Amino acid sequence: MDPPPEPVSYICGDCGMENTLKPGDVIQCRECGYRILYKKRTRRIIQYEAR
Amino acid sequence: MSDSEPEAMAEADGVPSTKLPPHLELRRTRVLCKVDAPDNTDTIQYSGAYASLGHENSLRFADFCKDFRVDITRISDDDMELDMVGVDPSIANAFRRILLAELPTMAIEKVLIANNTSVVQDEVLAHRLGLIPIKVDPRLFDYLSENDTPNEKNTIVFKLHVRCEERGQRLTVKSNELMWLPKGSEFLKTSESLTSTSKPETYTSFTCSQDSMPEFAGNPIRVYPDIIISKLGFGQEIELEAHAVKGVGKTHAKWSPVATCWYRMLPEVELMEEIEGEKADVLKQKCPAKVFEIEDLADGRKRATVARPRACTLCRECIRDGEDWEKRISLRRVKNHFIFTIESTGALPPEVLFTEAVKILEDKCERVISDLS
Amino acid sequence: MEHTSFGDQRNATFSFAEEDHTLANALRFSLNQDPQVIFCGYSIPHPTKAQVNVRVQTTDKEARVILKDACQGLMQMCQHIRGTFDKVVNDFRTKNPSGNHPSQDMDSD
Repeated sequence: MDPPPEPVSYICGDCGMENTLKPGDVIQCRECGYRILYKKRTRRIIQYEAR
Repeated sequence: MSDSEPEAMAEADGVPSTKLPPHLELRRTRVLCKVDAPDNTDTIQYSGAYASLGHENSLRFADFCKDFRVDITRISDDDMELDMVGVDPSIANAFRRILLAELPTMAIEKVLIANNTSVVQDEVLAHRLGLIPIKVDPRLFDYLSENDTPNEKNTIVFKLHVRCEERGQRLTVKSNELMWLPKGSEFLKTSESLTSTSKPETYTSFTCSQDSMPEFAGNPIRVYPDIIISKLGFGQEIELEAHAVKGVGKTHAKWSPVATCWYRMLPEVELMEEIEGEKADVLKQKCPAKVFEIEDLADGRKRATVARPRACTLCRECIRDGEDWEKRISLRRVKNHFIFTIESTGALPPEVLFTEAVKILEDKCERVISDLS
Repeated sequence: MEHTSFGDQRNATFSFAEEDHTLANALRFSLNQDPQVIFCGYSIPHPTKAQVNVRVQTTDKEARVILKDACQGLMQMCQHIRGTFDKVVNDFRTKNPSGNHPSQDMDSD
């Protein structure tokens, strides 16, 4: 059902640079080495009930 | 009771015995508002309630037609006030309940969010969108049942795509940014059948564009324009589709066609004795609704009169200061006179709402009749 | 709709699904206006269930017939109310032509 895992973008918590990580990659910013990365919001359509 | 018998009722004396004696007629037709509580609030519906007096309490249709009256005080595009005289509260209340809960409108029910980086969370955003009134006649649409696919007869699609591009600015997103998509959803379904099918599938299956329908040609579907949906900071973005369907207020209040709808019974204020001089001034001052006015008599005396009984809110301020005042003024409500107010949200004009409500009650009766036949 | 009556057709309970006070209270009024009705009342057995029971006891006709008449009466009343209302609205409109609509252009932005 789910599409195959694709690279996901993360935003560095320090410098704001965009990083793409695949499963198994080291969690670290390529630019500044900061180890806290934030996940970007998915572009997948999410359905809500307006109630 | 007997000490507050009104003069108007006393006129009924000496008429044929089929009329009720005045003190009973008063209890039948008026709610009496005493200092501590309203009294005599029930309606006497039973046809044989006064059988022992030889009075028939049933309502003949011809009499109803003779006495029933509607007066309109104001109509605007979204609100109206009318007086409905000569009906039982059970009927008036049925109309009110139908207006609030059983008259259909269109409202946003599904929100498909592609992107939302604003501070308003997805579910809150979806809820806010749901409450926006849509200006479209619901009679042109069908209900979308559980197994139906959304099509041009049961769904209206709106698109919202906004982004704050200016650094240091705050963008206010209002409901008029919702764009009607007469051709249906533009979002593609990305799931399983991506490779096999020829035509990409969207979230709706419209067979034709809604703006080709005669009702909407040159008359695009709009929503109530100036409702704030969200505020965006620099770089924040909202991209979504909102799907509106038909529903009724008892499922969720967003489908209610009225902002509110209420009635009150006509207030009746009667002075049981002449109130003159200083007391008249006191009485005028007491009333926050300014019901009383002062009349100058020929011989220089001043007398209180009831100038605006309709403005009375029955706050009972005028009868609060001791038994003397209680005896002087009689506050009542007329049981079969309803001042009805309808505030429309904009889908249909208020007078249409009322006629539709009456039709719904008729439909209910008809359904029962056909069930019984 | 369900109709229960034990032997005597003059006394019956009618059970309406998907109805509430809106119809039941109006029907009770209409039934009470009929001199052939000895007793009538309604109850909602449980607040979360969309169901209402209407009890009708009559002097000699079948309760079913009386209930049908009451519905007919209520419908007639509604038709009269609708007719009167539409006429009054039309009269009001002719007396106060659309110049009297301050809110008309309020919703265009």
